[in-house]
Amino acid sequence: MTTNKLAQGLRMYYLKQPNRFEFGIGTEMPAAYKKFYTEWKYTQPTPVHYIEKEGKYARNEATGEVYPVQNVPLPLKYPKEAHQGLWGGESVIQGFQKRHRLKQKIPHFWVPTLKKSIVYSEVLDKYIRVTLTDRTLDLIHKNYGFDHYLLKTPAYDLKSELALKLKRKILETLADKSLYPDNPAKKDEVYSKYQQYLSAYTKEEIEWYGLNWREACVKMFAIKAAQTVVAPLKHQYRAELIVELQNESEMPAEPEESSISWLSRLNPLSKSTKTS
Amino acid sequence: MWNNSVNLSKNLQYLSSPFLAAYNGFLSQQTRNTFILKRRTPPGLAKKNGPSKVLRGRHFVYELVEDTNVRKKPDLQLILTSYVEGLGNKGDLVTVPRNKGYTKLLLPRLATYATPENIDKTKAAADDQVSRYSSPYVERTINVLSTRTLPVLMSNTNPWVLEKWHIRTWLRRSGFHLQDESITLPDKPISGPNPAMEGKDFYITVTINKKEQVKVRCRLFQIDKKNFTVPEEYYKNTAEPIFPEDKSILDTMPGFYLRESKSSRI
Repeated sequence: MTTNKLAQGLRMYYLKQPNRFEFGIGTEMPAAYKKFYTEWKYTQPTPVHYIEKEGKYARNEATGEVYPVQNVPLPLKYPKEAHQGLWGGESVIQGFQKRHRLKQKIPHFWVPTLKKSIVYSEVLDKYIRVTLTDRTLDLIHKNYGFDHYLLKTPAYDLKSELALKLKRKILETLADKSLYPDNPAKKDEVYSKYQQYLSAYTKEEIEWYGLNWREACVKMFAIKAAQTVVAPLKHQYRAELIVELQNESEMPAEPEESSISWLSRLNPLSKSTKTS
Repeated sequence: MWNNSVNLSKNLQYLSSPFLAAYNGFLSQQTRNTFILKRRTPPGLAKKNGPSKVLRGRHFVYELVEDTNVRKKPDLQLILTSYVEGLGNKGDLVTVPRNKGYTKLLLPRLATYATPENIDKTKAAADDQVSRYSSPYVERTINVLSTRTLPVLMSNTNPWVLEKWHIRTWLRRSGFHLQDESITLPDKPISGPNPAMEGKDFYITVTINKKEQVKVRCRLFQIDKKNFTVPEEYYKNTAEPIFPEDKSILDTMPGFYLRESKSSRI
């Protein structure tokens, strides 16, 4: 507890920010999407723009004092262009430069070098023109191919929506075995090469993989709409009426009522013992 | 603009000064690279299991540790899936520069990555191979020789008969070093000086690695000893053959490809 009284008071007003999955349509999202989304958004990516200190404790060289190692990651920015290309985990960094000890710090953006290139997906058998960085090409070469790179790398490192969508497409093609429909020999060869990656996902997880929040909501609403069948009320009332009429027709007709003439019924002045 | 020029001159001054290391202004302009950064002032230690420290302005002042784009990229190890001119036969393990390997070999699917499985596979398939050429560089040599018009300069005063060493000399002056055994002269002897043969074509045959044969177009010039220079841009013109029966062969040979420079086009 803090000793500051004001801080203690403010603490009472503190409310935890609700998670996306804790209100609204988020509560109805399937577990498959929740799993993907937490992997994508709520997991810290592997450090690209800074070197992480290793170990649990370190020693101050001058004093010999032991202190715990705490890595505070640099805040990263993902502009919308990052989702239209494959940046290989790189991102924009906003910060300051101190160029001289007597000068003010200057705002600066560190932006990765982007270049237009082509990648080839063996599973989809397609050439794709994309914006990428040298790091992406490095990773593709390191993993021996674009498909291997996408399938091996988790969502928090791919980051880009384009990469995740391509990954879903590749996973779908592998799961349906719809690759190379005209060439069965090539189909078996490529399928056996990438089959190992399928075991990590269920069919539902593949279906919900790589969707951003908006797309997931649209999908969820569509599923809900398909489940709830809205029938016009007139159909219900008609059915009820038919049942009612059927019941009436089954009941025996009252003989006494038929004996009274319709004229006597209409006459309000006639004193009948039956109508009272 | 003015500011930039002022900065530049200032920076140049700093560059010429011996205290260059102390000043990093010149290279601290914004460039677009992969950066590895470091905090100038790291935030203090947070409490055990407590919330992390709130970051202040000074924690966002970064220093450049390394720019990975400047680092030299390693070469690619690839296995060729088909014969590639000037590189190797199918199944050869080659080491090529990164960008060239990606754009020229991997994307057109002329090569695959040298994974351990791929290396084993190619070792198994290496036995049943029929190579088209005796060496991967043969096709390149054929391309260069067959499009060339070789100048053969002879005397216009002293009598001569064309021999192999004349051709060998003129091939050497064009940049091809080869031996007499690999040169085959025309069947009929050529002798001079003969004004009827001036500026006319004939062909010789060059044998590469004692296997592949390529025909080379030659043009005969008879020039005075005092002015013994190759005529200017002679290769742009066509010429009649010395022996009329060779015309059909000379016509089928690939000629000079006229490369127009941008300046000549206007």
